[in-house]
Amino acid sequence: MKGEIMRHDERGITLGEYLAARGVSRRAFLKFACSLASLMALPPSAGIAMAEAMAKARRPSVLWFPFQECTGCTESITRSHEPTIESMIFDMISLDYHETLMAAAGHQSEAAREQAMKDNFGKYLLLIDGSVATGLDGAFSCIGGQTNLSWLVEAAKGAAAIVAIGSCASYGGIPKANPNPTGARAVSDIVKDKPVVNIPGCPPIPAVLTGVLAHFLTFGSLPELDPLGRPKAFYGETIHDRCYRRPFYDQGRFAKTFDDEGARNGWCLYELGCKGPVTYNACATVKWNGGTSFPIQSGHGCLGCSQPDFWDKGSFYRPLSVAHWGNAATLGGAAAVGVALGAAAAYAARRRQDKIAKGD
Amino acid sequence: MDLLDFARGPGMTWAAAIFVIGVLWKLVGVILLRAKRDLSEPRNPASWTGLRAILTRSWPRREFVHGTAFSEVLGYAFHIGFFVALVFYLPHVLFFENVFKGLLGVNFQRIFGVSWPYFSGGMVNFFAAVSVAALVALLVHRIVNPVKRLISNFDDYFSWLVTIAPLVTGMLAYAHVGAPYQTLIAVHLLSVELLLVWFPFGKLMHTFTVFLSRGTQGMQFERKGATL
Amino acid sequence: MSDLRDTAYATAILHEVADLLAKLAADGSPGAIDLRAMPLGPADRARLEEVLAAGAVKVSVDAGGPSEIFETVYPGVWWTRHRNDAGETISEFIEVTDCPQFLKSQPDDIRAGASGLRRMLE
Repeated sequence: MKGEIMRHDERGITLGEYLAARGVSRRAFLKFACSLASLMALPPSAGIAMAEAMAKARRPSVLWFPFQECTGCTESITRSHEPTIESMIFDMISLDYHETLMAAAGHQSEAAREQAMKDNFGKYLLLIDGSVATGLDGAFSCIGGQTNLSWLVEAAKGAAAIVAIGSCASYGGIPKANPNPTGARAVSDIVKDKPVVNIPGCPPIPAVLTGVLAHFLTFGSLPELDPLGRPKAFYGETIHDRCYRRPFYDQGRFAKTFDDEGARNGWCLYELGCKGPVTYNACATVKWNGGTSFPIQSGHGCLGCSQPDFWDKGSFYRPLSVAHWGNAATLGGAAAVGVALGAAAAYAARRRQDKIAKGD
Repeated sequence: MDLLDFARGPGMTWAAAIFVIGVLWKLVGVILLRAKRDLSEPRNPASWTGLRAILTRSWPRREFVHGTAFSEVLGYAFHIGFFVALVFYLPHVLFFENVFKGLLGVNFQRIFGVSWPYFSGGMVNFFAAVSVAALVALLVHRIVNPVKRLISNFDDYFSWLVTIAPLVTGMLAYAHVGAPYQTLIAVHLLSVELLLVWFPFGKLMHTFTVFLSRGTQGMQFERKGATL
Repeated sequence: MSDLRDTAYATAILHEVADLLAKLAADGSPGAIDLRAMPLGPADRARLEEVLAAGAVKVSVDAGGPSEIFETVYPGVWWTRHRNDAGETISEFIEVTDCPQFLKSQPDDIRAGASGLRRMLE
């Protein structure tokens, strides 16, 4: 199913026809749409509306450009142990250009890209994963001899909307980590005149991309976004707000090491550096691998991977409340300065006393 | 660098340094002052016993209780509530254990065998609320009582503000109310940093000097033959 | 007292069901409640299952994974649970309607079946 190139005679068909041709009944699609609506906290009636709208939608032209990335976002989104309707939708829409999944390569794939951009100017969806290298005029990251930066600027002109997938595209991510040798920037730092939606996470949860695409197919627009450009339906709450271990946090039951009694009892991981309280994502509700688990459930604190610059916030294992107070050297130095100032003040006071005693 | 990064990073580093510099400056500056020599014959050579004044002066003499009980009781309510919230709340305990380890090079638990205890969040919140209520009542009294109002200055009011701010911002952060959590936490940290920076330069130094002044006075009187 | 707190969400849902059912009875307009929208504890679930017990109709559907739908002891109130092929629950609804949309044969499926049957008979 994955990577299957759409047959030429299928290019004009609707999503409903595409799925029917692959043995997916409208009833099964209705079930999927209702579940997706539930995931996006839309009312149950929206599920039925989404099923109808999506079934009638013609395959939108989608271009996926990989920039400075590790391909983890693609892996996350295409990873499923069995084909699901989600992956089928993804297959259907992402075939105009995707370097990992498409069969064409080299000049043929570049020709396909240029043709798709020309044919669908103003209407295609641009999906970007990986950060945009801007150092050396973008030479740090090139495809086919052209910089990612120039590709982005060019492709943005004809895009209806741009989806920045993963923390690298959303914020600059790992390449941007100190000292940022390649001048990595976020997509939204480069593109200012088109709607950009950020789907951060390292990698992001697959259902989030599906939800955003479903919203676009159904309503023709991007869902409501927060100040960092993330869909509120998935990034509206912190991990801490929906964490199932929250009662332990409130009761003051914390794991102190990764294998103590508290850890084995599933207690709160605050002391082990969990960044859940300051991280917005849907991991605690939607979870990973079809709702199997998420880092905290598996016993490790949240890394905060859907927040900007999470690589540069200090150790993953330093608790949030342990602010950086300095170290023995800085406070020792401060103590020396304090003592010196105090001694000087006392000396000055004694000199004054002597002067008064002498009757000056 | 966003607000939380600053509050958790350079803000705290500078505030801690300024706190240490200021406290030692003020303490050393006072301790090294020339004390007036008492040339009289000591009535009680064991004047060190006068140190007990540190304890006995913790509550007013019976004759004065009637006029001072209100402030004394509320003062204790504030101090105890503040102390519990500061010292028996796990996120704070983690901070202090980190300072302990950083300064002494070894874990608190390694030396004492047990970890520092802590209460649940709800219990700490209760103590903080009591502390805030006491502070508000004390401020009202300060403003309404004509004598107190007359003798109050900027130090009194500003010290009150930098003391109540961490309590209130801490409670807001705990309740996740008023702003996104990371903003609440950043503001709480910044209020603590303001407290640390102001601490050595106003009346909050009584935290250390109260023991010096009570002890010194007790010893001076004891030498003269009077027990406080 | 702790009993009432434990089942607070269930009580809220049951009240909403009662309102929707009254509306269905009055003018036939359907409604639905997404059970995933609220954090239900075990006591909430138990209460819901106790009040909205299974009635006369139980349906199992195999469409993109198994789904179970049953009409509760209150006619017009249906409980739908959708699972994926791995058996994990992906959504759960309480629908107040004379017949859930999901149970009805879908027009496109009917059309596809009609032409399929005609082709097979030729």
